[in-house]
Amino acid sequence: MKREEIVLKVNGTDYTVSIEPWRTLVEVLRENLGLTGTKKSCSEGECGACTVIMDGRPVASCLVLAMDAQGKEILTIEGLSEGEKLHPIQEAFLKHGAIQCGFCTPGMVMAAKGLLDENPKPTVAEARKAISGNLCRCTGYQHIVDSIMAASKMMDKKS
Amino acid sequence: MEEYSVVGKSVERTDGRVKVTGKAKYAGDLVAPGMLQGKLLRSPLAHAKILNIDTSRAKALPGVMAVITGRDFPGIPYGTRPDTRDQLPMPITKVHHFGEGVAAVAAVDEDTAEEALDLIKVDYEELPVVLTAEEALKPDSPPVNEFMKSNIPYFSDFNFGDVEKGFKEADHIREEKFSSQRVTVGFIEPHACLAEVDPTGRVLLQGSKQSPYITWRHMCRALDIPLFRMRIVNPFVGGAFSGKHDPFDVDFAAVKLAQVTGRPVKIVLNYDEVLAAYRQRNAMDARLRLGVKKNGVITALRAECILEGGPICGIGPFNIYYFGAFLNIPYKIPAIEYHGKLVYSNRAPCGTVRGQEITLAQFALDSLLHMVAEDLGIDQVDIRAINAVTDNWRTANGMIVDVSGLPECIKKSSDKIKWKESRKGRPPGRGIGFSCASHPSGPRLGGHFGSSVILKLVEDGKVVLTHGGTEIGQGANTVFCQMAAEVLGLPFEDIIQGVSDSDTAILDSGMFGDRCTYWDGNATIQAATDLKRQLAEIAAKELQANPEELEFKDKRIFLKGKPEKGIDFLLAVRRAYYERGTPLYGRGYWAATDIDIVDWKTGKGNLAHGLDFIATAIDLHVDKETGKVTLVKAAHGDDAGQPINPLLLEGQVTGGSTHLAGQALFEESLYDEKGVALNYTWRDYKQPTSMDAPEYVVEHVHTHDPYGPFGAKGAGEASSCSTMAAIANGVYDAVGVRIKELPITPEKILKALKEKEAR
Amino acid sequence: MFIKRLPKFEYHVPISVSDALDLLAKHDRKAMVFAGGTDILVSMKKREILPEHLINLKGIVELKGIHYDEKEGIKIGALTTLGEIEHSEIVKDKFCVLWDAVNVMASPQIRSLATIGGNLCGAVPSADTAPPLIAIGASVKIVGIHGERSVLVENFFKGPKESALQRNEILTQILIPNPLPRSSGTYLKLMRRNAMDLALVGVAANIRLDLKRNVCTEARIALGAVAPTPIRAMQAEQVLVNKEIGEALAEEAGKTAATVCRPISDIRCSLEYRCSMVEVLTKRAVMDAYERIS
Repeated sequence: MKREEIVLKVNGTDYTVSIEPWRTLVEVLRENLGLTGTKKSCSEGECGACTVIMDGRPVASCLVLAMDAQGKEILTIEGLSEGEKLHPIQEAFLKHGAIQCGFCTPGMVMAAKGLLDENPKPTVAEARKAISGNLCRCTGYQHIVDSIMAASKMMDKKS
Repeated sequence: MEEYSVVGKSVERTDGRVKVTGKAKYAGDLVAPGMLQGKLLRSPLAHAKILNIDTSRAKALPGVMAVITGRDFPGIPYGTRPDTRDQLPMPITKVHHFGEGVAAVAAVDEDTAEEALDLIKVDYEELPVVLTAEEALKPDSPPVNEFMKSNIPYFSDFNFGDVEKGFKEADHIREEKFSSQRVTVGFIEPHACLAEVDPTGRVLLQGSKQSPYITWRHMCRALDIPLFRMRIVNPFVGGAFSGKHDPFDVDFAAVKLAQVTGRPVKIVLNYDEVLAAYRQRNAMDARLRLGVKKNGVITALRAECILEGGPICGIGPFNIYYFGAFLNIPYKIPAIEYHGKLVYSNRAPCGTVRGQEITLAQFALDSLLHMVAEDLGIDQVDIRAINAVTDNWRTANGMIVDVSGLPECIKKSSDKIKWKESRKGRPPGRGIGFSCASHPSGPRLGGHFGSSVILKLVEDGKVVLTHGGTEIGQGANTVFCQMAAEVLGLPFEDIIQGVSDSDTAILDSGMFGDRCTYWDGNATIQAATDLKRQLAEIAAKELQANPEELEFKDKRIFLKGKPEKGIDFLLAVRRAYYERGTPLYGRGYWAATDIDIVDWKTGKGNLAHGLDFIATAIDLHVDKETGKVTLVKAAHGDDAGQPINPLLLEGQVTGGSTHLAGQALFEESLYDEKGVALNYTWRDYKQPTSMDAPEYVVEHVHTHDPYGPFGAKGAGEASSCSTMAAIANGVYDAVGVRIKELPITPEKILKALKEKEAR
Repeated sequence: MFIKRLPKFEYHVPISVSDALDLLAKHDRKAMVFAGGTDILVSMKKREILPEHLINLKGIVELKGIHYDEKEGIKIGALTTLGEIEHSEIVKDKFCVLWDAVNVMASPQIRSLATIGGNLCGAVPSADTAPPLIAIGASVKIVGIHGERSVLVENFFKGPKESALQRNEILTQILIPNPLPRSSGTYLKLMRRNAMDLALVGVAANIRLDLKRNVCTEARIALGAVAPTPIRAMQAEQVLVNKEIGEALAEEAGKTAATVCRPISDIRCSLEYRCSMVEVLTKRAVMDAYERIS
């Protein structure tokens, strides 16, 4: 039951952390790496607030052991923008009123990224399904769905 | 309609970028050097004497710095009203509900704190449990709250107009019972706070709190520290919906542990704790009797309501008045008699939730109105249009409606949902339900309710705006900047939102009841006008003109109608700072002293300005075999006066509607017969997901409120109030069954269908 | 009572099945295997289970992958995630009843982690992959120190959270025979809301029609969440066999299926409702499967 030194690749950077095996990825991101953009709420995979992208797929980071995240490419909300330059999904969220209290936002954005990376031209139903694991109490989801559809168009124009 | 430069535009919210990049800090994200982690030990019983709490083994665990219980506090109860001070920071003699925090630990890390909880030994003596309103009303029911003798801590009785006459005049009278369930508030961010105490004993609290002022007042009283010894700085708040006003054991424990250890203490809850033990909406039982004439005009209403509120009053006294008061609106009711009781129980404590009791009152009234319209063969849209409140209406209990866009709202929503076409025919299982609602723009709850805003003009011509009305997502931090920019003739980007800090933000009752846009908005205009006056005086000298003849627009100050005869805004600023040595700041305060502090027991008086109106139509499908309800489309016609930021406003409408659809259809906080919570996990407490929300159409009806900032009304909660009845009415329209007990579950629908078929 | 941070444990990452079996033998009752962790880690946070040794199977390459062969059928490694199955064209095309299930399970962020092996070994009565696998005659390969054995999925469940796995055995693969011509299936899941929920009732129906007419030659109906384990509704299947599929017949099958289920009432819904819904969902699943064939 000793601490082990592991290397986590987060947002393109290798971080060396010394952790026990029972630490989850969301805890290590927030507490060891200070990346508090990924949120923690229910700790049982029911709310989506802790969603990050791991090897291209959205995952509930509260249910990933940090040890299991070794050797994987982890993308958090902090890694999406480049300095002041926002990702089209983030631009769309701003433009279409998808953000109110902002607590579900990082998870929503990552879920949206997971969708658009895999399905660049989703239907509204597919967009709703992609965020069906992310709870929001503020917005009623309409603007978030609008943002995803808009981001898809924006990303299409760029490519 | 006036043409504004910034107001009325869907500008990007001021906090959007920090939120969308994950940089916004919420209470759980904060760190302080030397910080300890706190955890709360919770009662497994709903009602029990605390015989003894042995914390010795926990204290001895290496890494544990302090362990406290209710006895570490002065024992001074606090509460919303002087006559309802029934709350303690943490329980001393007994626990009142499942999950109540009985002890708290501060340790060097979370794992140690958790381990310490297991080492605390609490000896309980179980007490009989009061679970329902029915049980609480029994004369021999065991007293729930040690500070109040009766389990009925508050009541409201009013009688306005001549109800007997009204019923005599009615051609048709119908009486029905309605009920609603316990639901949780459901914001996504769990409670969290970081408390620090400096060597002089001054407390700094940074927590997920909705109304710092309320938190501050209660905490200083209960901690027995003078008001100036506490400072509250608000980080971003991850949703609140009225579930985060009061200080909780989380906040008290963090402060007490910080006081005892001399180190910062952070406590962050896990969401299951929130579901088990924190604020829920009162359960409601009501009976309504409505009298109408043949043509659908309402003549009288008699209502009784019992709100079951958990073991503390909280805002309950207001809630029980509010239920009755808002039966008077949005329809014209000439005579109303109302009797309401607030009762205690051993379920989780209640506060109020988005839409407050209006959501429940409207569910009952608009369901009943639908039934009555059907009885008389009157179209559902028509009966609402006939009774809709209009401009300059005074309700039976004295509430004044200055401007009502409701008739227009009704028209818009019925058009958008294609109501007329639907009456000709629709697919099996499809139905449309209507409801209207009204919500005030901030009630005046007491003499010390007001809002204040400070505008600090920086030397470079930019403005920093601070206010005490918390940003919980609704856009407070953005709309005030819009208003200030409009008054000062500056671009939106030149107004920056400052920190919410009780040291610099003066009195402000906080964010609830739709008050911010209205109250803080008016305060913003006042502050900006104050600043304008100071700048005008300087510019007038420069231009050798009369200050009253000057206009502020496009970063310039000039003679009205003669833009070339003016100076740059920045020049006036520099004159002040660099030549006169005078700093410039604008102060604004708005307290609406012209509205009444209503007596909640008798209900008479004008509670608030800026009544906003909504008409909601929901198109839904009921699967007759499974009973499942699918919301297809919702059309809201919303009168929020002058929309300050149309995109934000629309988000408020869609959000409230989805939230309450959850209460209408899926949500319920369940308890066993001993008051132990059964579903305190999101695995079994089902809030609406993206696949449960309908497609929304929101049409703004533009009116101009005479008291509102730029004619705006508050807009956060109207759609919350109209949604449940619209769904209940839609279910009836679809399959002909009337469900009067929320939630409207598939089982209830199938049972009602079976009974209908049997008849 | 309340969720905590994970308890302490020793962590092992074997790279072969035999290594995993050795670890299980060594630590015996103190050890548990896990794959996606979406159920086990939550149970551990709730202190419902406290394995001192946690054995992560995800490093074992031979447990991964989907292999399809036209003669043998499909072999799905136990570690295949629900998301991988969701994205598998071959599953969607030829084993759509299973695809239906993963399509309505949990959420995208859980499907990326949760495995089909985990769903089966967790053995909750509402496990969504179970009824479809039973309906298409799937079997699982189990490996232990005594060697390998094969068990039909319909015989894999013994009770709530109790599978046919003996102590220190590992489920390695799910095998599904190639679908026969003119056959298809549907899985229907009834939930409280439209996403991210357990099954109140789950019904899988797989039918085969004869080559010329619409007469049903084979039928398998499996029910989830309405008994201590997922079950086959054989009497309901008999209603369909050798008859022409139609609404009335499907309804009759539904009524029969409702008589074999033994659900409970819980905080989610009542047993009466579950029985009624078995009737409704069975009827609909049969008709849907039938429509898919035509």
